[in-house]
Amino acid sequence: MGWYRRFINVLRPNRVSADIRREMEFHMAERADDLVAGGMGEAEARHEARRRFGNPSMQHERTRDTDVLTWLESLGADVRYALRALRASPGFAVVAIVSLGLGVGANTAIFSLINAVVLRTLPVERPEELMQVTMGGKERGSVFTNPIWEQVRDRQDAFSGAFAYGDAEFNLTSGGEVRQAAGSWVSGDYFSTLGVRPAIGRLLTHADDVRGCPPVAVLGYGFWQSEYGGSPAIVGKTISLNRQPHTVAGVADPSFFGVDVGASIQVYVPLCLRPGLDLRSNWYLNIVGRRRPGLTPQQITQRLAAIAPAVYQETIPQHWGAREQAAYLKNGLSAVPAANGLSSVRRQYQRALMVLMAVVGLVLLVACANVANLLLARAAVRSREMAIRLAIGAARRRIVRQLLTESVLLAGLGALAGIVFARWGTSLLIGLLSRGAFPVSLDVGLDVRVLSFTLGVALLTGVLFGLAPAWRATRVDPQVALRASGRGVAEGHSRFTIGKALVIGQLALSLVLVIGAGLLLGTFRKLVSLDPGFKRDGVLIVGVNLRNAGYDEGRYGAVQRDLLERFRALPGVQAAAASVMTPISGSSWNDFVRVDGYTPKRFEDALVYFNQVSDGFFAAMGTPLLAGRDFDARDRLGSQPVAIVNETVVRKFFNGASPLGKYYRLADHDRLGAPVQIIGVVKDAKYRELREETLPTAYLTMSQDSASGPYANYELRTAGPPSGVATSVKAMVADVNRSIALELTPLSEQVDASLARERLLATLSGFFGGLSLLLATIGLYGTLSYSVARRRNEIGVRIALGAGQDRVMRLVLGEVARMIVIGVTVGIVAALFSTRVMASFLYGLSASDPATLIASAAALAMVGLAAGVLPAWRAARVDPIAALRDE
Amino acid sequence: MSRQRNDILQGTLVLLVLKTLSTQGRMHGYAITAHIQRASADLLRVEEGSLYPALHRMEQDGWLRAEWGMTEKNRQARFYTLTPAGKKQLSTEQESWARLTEGVTRVLRYA
Repeated sequence: MGWYRRFINVLRPNRVSADIRREMEFHMAERADDLVAGGMGEAEARHEARRRFGNPSMQHERTRDTDVLTWLESLGADVRYALRALRASPGFAVVAIVSLGLGVGANTAIFSLINAVVLRTLPVERPEELMQVTMGGKERGSVFTNPIWEQVRDRQDAFSGAFAYGDAEFNLTSGGEVRQAAGSWVSGDYFSTLGVRPAIGRLLTHADDVRGCPPVAVLGYGFWQSEYGGSPAIVGKTISLNRQPHTVAGVADPSFFGVDVGASIQVYVPLCLRPGLDLRSNWYLNIVGRRRPGLTPQQITQRLAAIAPAVYQETIPQHWGAREQAAYLKNGLSAVPAANGLSSVRRQYQRALMVLMAVVGLVLLVACANVANLLLARAAVRSREMAIRLAIGAARRRIVRQLLTESVLLAGLGALAGIVFARWGTSLLIGLLSRGAFPVSLDVGLDVRVLSFTLGVALLTGVLFGLAPAWRATRVDPQVALRASGRGVAEGHSRFTIGKALVIGQLALSLVLVIGAGLLLGTFRKLVSLDPGFKRDGVLIVGVNLRNAGYDEGRYGAVQRDLLERFRALPGVQAAAASVMTPISGSSWNDFVRVDGYTPKRFEDALVYFNQVSDGFFAAMGTPLLAGRDFDARDRLGSQPVAIVNETVVRKFFNGASPLGKYYRLADHDRLGAPVQIIGVVKDAKYRELREETLPTAYLTMSQDSASGPYANYELRTAGPPSGVATSVKAMVADVNRSIALELTPLSEQVDASLARERLLATLSGFFGGLSLLLATIGLYGTLSYSVARRRNEIGVRIALGAGQDRVMRLVLGEVARMIVIGVTVGIVAALFSTRVMASFLYGLSASDPATLIASAAALAMVGLAAGVLPAWRAARVDPIAALRDE
Repeated sequence: MSRQRNDILQGTLVLLVLKTLSTQGRMHGYAITAHIQRASADLLRVEEGSLYPALHRMEQDGWLRAEWGMTEKNRQARFYTLTPAGKKQLSTEQESWARLTEGVTRVLRYA
């Protein structure tokens, strides 16, 4: 019961305090009475009574401590006191809270992203039971064909339920500019295995996924809201997907976004509606199962491995060569945990996010050092206050706790500010992520994990930056502090070593961050400014799909040639060409070739990348033709097949000699293709991504291809900005045929999208590097100003004894220079160790790039010296008479 | 500097207070001090200030009950009485004190 009475007393601390005081006063009065009765004078008796009682305030505090839940009651007092102390110096409070808020906010923002992308489990029933089927081994794939899926589905005994799904893009419009919806082909047990419930209507079931099924669709909740305003009347209506009417069966639960983290699925369509279900080399399905209760992951893998030989035997692609078929049969089946879902965003960004987490961790450390420094200066100013409290009997422990309360309170306020910054920062981050090839949608709401992370960080920082000042406070000797009134003629340098150490630490950490930012910015700049072999600005890519426009397949080539002529005639278009592939689009087409006189060391060495283009392609793209000729009217169906190659092909296959007039053949397994004559050489151009070593590339001509597909891309070189011709392009195509589907992308945007990760890293590391530099500068400035203020007497004496202003300035700036030199040295050593983890993100410079190191160190030194100039100038202007009179 | 220390042995203060209240009934703090001093013929002296933390702790533990009242001299004082729990505690403390003194005595005699 004791704690209960104490708790009650917590709620009435003043009453408890008054009672104790009254009781003690009574005691002393009685004692004095007795002493007077014994013959002592009244005043002397009162004094003696007090002396015998001992230290009344200490006994008072001890008594009160037994009456209340001390820590709780005094916590309240501490918090009230700390708030009052903060209100008393608002400038300090604002700087501290904002720098902590930025630090905590940055950490929370990055952490909520990591949480959403890596840590959070799927919002489905018992996600920990989900496993993804893979081929086993390390680098083996996890994408399967539909025949394999059907075999696995029918043979497996490891899962209580299993499903397959594949990415799909559905065109929502019936013609004109394409509007894509992110979709998923899903097998019948998709929703039932995951345990997802419908928001309205029904979800797809086993019965929806049978051969020849009627076209139905389930909508994602977000898509239903944005596209149909959340109207329940949509159930039973039809929507157009790739120009086919689909009946809407229902809408999925609001929290469900699919199995891929980062991509929000808008439309789910039964797998049975996909064309080409029986193709045995069409790989697009992910397979996921729910672990049968009682089976361990190892047993699951064993059971899958057991059925693998039969599965592959039944699904062997008949048209493959013998070697490939043998390799195909060796594939295995295995399972890995999939509680967090699958994610291409995760694959692409996990390591980048970890690097950013480390970066913001360092920023937080710098911010902590800053606040610790401010608190130290304050503690020094308040040493008299502390001394007095110690002298009148406050326990040392109590003062340390009081100071720690202040710092944890600061940290708490900083964390609140941080949550605000973080909300704003995460949406900014997702915006940056979404500048990639596809929009990224992530649930980054504050959940328990993020909040406890922030809380933990705040507490940790509070203790971290509160410890040094509190430790110093305990070392105050009340007598010295009171007698010296906190000021001496010559302030020893040692007085402020913690502060200096903190500033040096800040400088070193900031340098690491600035160097890291410099490297990432350098990488980004190199990638943006490198010559990709084509001119990226002023080109509009027009993707055209004739499939649903009602043409016979044999007519595709003619329609495409006609469109090209019409594009060339458009005003504002300087040149136009067509191609199958567009640069830096992420897709590729390659084949093995054989060239007489070239023996590949490894069989991959004979791999060449291909594109099929119209005449004028190189002119439109701005890729110089170095030798030979472009395609022209001589290259027709039936004439000698010709190709144009890039410089890499010349170097690799022809040893640098002119290849004009020479031949290569496709080497498809053991069969050789017809000889193709090389008629031209073009400059090297990037094919898949900017970072790659240029690939050996051969360009074929569309005019020698009898079987044109329904897809073609056109490159329009425009006089003005590419988007300027968009309207006339759309109008012209609609004029030809309203049902032709169109996609317009400026080439520069397509190239930019491939740099999304580099841009993210460069932008954020640059921002955080600058932020930590700013914080370190504030720290340096604050420490110096404080040290100059404390050394005012000493400086006054120096000036009185004849030291000139320049000498005094040198004195102060020398201190700055010493701190900077140590900070830079430590920082460079630390950077050399730590930037290595970023090596895989860098392009065109090494992790210890000397230019970046030197430039960063110079920038830091300059900013640091600039921060020191004002305090130094102030020191030089000290009026010796005023300074000494103050004494 | 050597000083005659006849301050009460740490831990025995509780025993002395419980015993005092059990024989004397209702008392305030000052009277308890005075009684201990008198009963021990001035051999024991309570450090007056330290009595109050002890009294309050015993009150929180439920061994004492406290109430405000008037003294003969018409002063307000806080009077303490022993509770049943306090009586039980007194016998435990007496027992352990007896064991302690016996042990100490034996050591002094034979060691």
